[in-house]
Amino acid sequence: MTEPLSNIPGGMRYYFGREARLRRAVETAVMSVFDGWGYEEIAAPAVDYYALFERGMGHEEARRSFRFTDTDGRLLALRPDVTSAVARAAATLFAQVPRPLRLCYAASVFRQRPRSHAEWKRQVRQLGCELIGSGGDEADLEVLLIAAEVLERLGLGYRVTVNHAGVFNGLAAQLSLDEAAREDARSLVDTRDAAGLQTFFASRGGDGGTRPAAPLARELARLSGKREVLEEALTLAAAEGRVGDSLRALERTWQVIEAIGLTESFEVDLGDVSGLDYYTGLVFKIYVEGAGARVGGGGRYDELTANFGAREPAVGFVLDLDAVSEVLLRGGAFGARGAEEASASKVGAESPGERFREARERRGRGERIRLG
Amino acid sequence: MLTIAIAKGRMQRDALELLGRAGVRVSEEALNSRRLAVEDEEGRYRFIFVKPQDVPVYVEHGIADCGVVGRDVLLETEADVLQPLDLRIGCCRIAVAARKGLRVEDASVLHVATKYPRVAAAHFGSRGVPVEIIGLSGSVELAPVLGLADCIVDLVETGRTLAENGLEVIETITESTARLVVNRASYQLKSAAVGSLVAAVSEAVNKGKEES
Repeated sequence: MTEPLSNIPGGMRYYFGREARLRRAVETAVMSVFDGWGYEEIAAPAVDYYALFERGMGHEEARRSFRFTDTDGRLLALRPDVTSAVARAAATLFAQVPRPLRLCYAASVFRQRPRSHAEWKRQVRQLGCELIGSGGDEADLEVLLIAAEVLERLGLGYRVTVNHAGVFNGLAAQLSLDEAAREDARSLVDTRDAAGLQTFFASRGGDGGTRPAAPLARELARLSGKREVLEEALTLAAAEGRVGDSLRALERTWQVIEAIGLTESFEVDLGDVSGLDYYTGLVFKIYVEGAGARVGGGGRYDELTANFGAREPAVGFVLDLDAVSEVLLRGGAFGARGAEEASASKVGAESPGERFREARERRGRGERIRLG
Repeated sequence: MLTIAIAKGRMQRDALELLGRAGVRVSEEALNSRRLAVEDEEGRYRFIFVKPQDVPVYVEHGIADCGVVGRDVLLETEADVLQPLDLRIGCCRIAVAARKGLRVEDASVLHVATKYPRVAAAHFGSRGVPVEIIGLSGSVELAPVLGLADCIVDLVETGRTLAENGLEVIETITESTARLVVNRASYQLKSAAVGSLVAAVSEAVNKGKEES
């Protein structure tokens, strides 16, 4: 039986016309912001060893990729992310290149299994940048502000939530949560189940109730807002140790956000606890008005390059071109401009030879010529 | 304006009654109409009424900012939504039920009829019991009676339907109540509106608990 060729595999699609033009315009605009900050474009292999992604993204995430075998039997994957390959290049190919490295990319990534019903696409185009070899608050802020500049350039109403991986991870360590308990607590915080989280710690009795970490851990699900959230967290948490350090780092970041007048678009969200096995410091998520799911995110991942030989600080973020373009296509000045088709002239000459000659000449002068 | 998706049927009345106590009121006229989308009296909320399993779909896509739906549905659909509130209505449990006298451990492969294939597979999978899951969309209690399945995994409220069909609960997989769910992006982008809704409903839930 022959398969009808009209079928398109699930999660795959065409882009054309207005949408294709707009996507190109968005990609160009975002890449030019990266360029403006001095980031160099890098293109990574579309197919790489599965082990790279397993190391780079963690087992759970890597498992969602399309996998197949190489001629020698080694497992390959269609890249489910770009960061893994960039981190490996930093640790190997660019080992001798002076730091910091500023790299950016526009690349399609592929995931066989979507994360949720809303993320039905299995091929999405990521626009991202990575700042490698530079730690500290300033590097974090550089990447956050690049994200803000990108979103402003596109004319999007946006909100960026910031958190620090050390808050939850530090609390879990202080409370000696084993792997299963840690995941239970993480999931309760992640879904903002405030009552469930209270019950969880209450049911753990002695070990969860009295330690200095407990008061903050119990409240994580509802701690999102501006500066006052950090103040409340710092009064709830024991000031010393990893948790206190993380909260103070977040506070320093927030001070700069305040100083440059971005508090309307930014928010502290201590309940954002996804991807915490991956990030080691700042974590942020990007939401834009008109999109029902987050359109990007990033953070600091100082342990990632260690997987490929040399540990060094790194921070970066990605923006989902598809999600952003979908919003821009529905309205706004950037969308209207980016989706517009440039006008095309016709040529008047009679004979085919003349027409091609005239067309070539006028195209040479920068005109857009459509024959016939 | 916030759009709230409400699961039609079993818990619709209770949900609207609870929201009413939280100050979100829909006129009788609007409720009695056959419209599937109605606004509250103050024009702050729009309600859409959809099948329970569709609530997470609307909320995940952000078409609805919030939703009211049972935990059973959230488990089965593996919905990626925030669940800030247990509404403590629509209490029931997902349970394994079979004809009286069936010994689960006697079966080499257990045939399980259910509307909850994922929950059922995860439950038996976690204890290594080989099962054949038979997905049905209704009248699940018939399956063991007619011999389609050895047992069922289904929602049990009072247990009356089970008893009338000669079935009994073997074990409870999990309890379920209605949850207020929120889209992840709406939670950030409409944080003020979502926050005040959660606070008001939370207060109504707690008051209801004190009274009962």
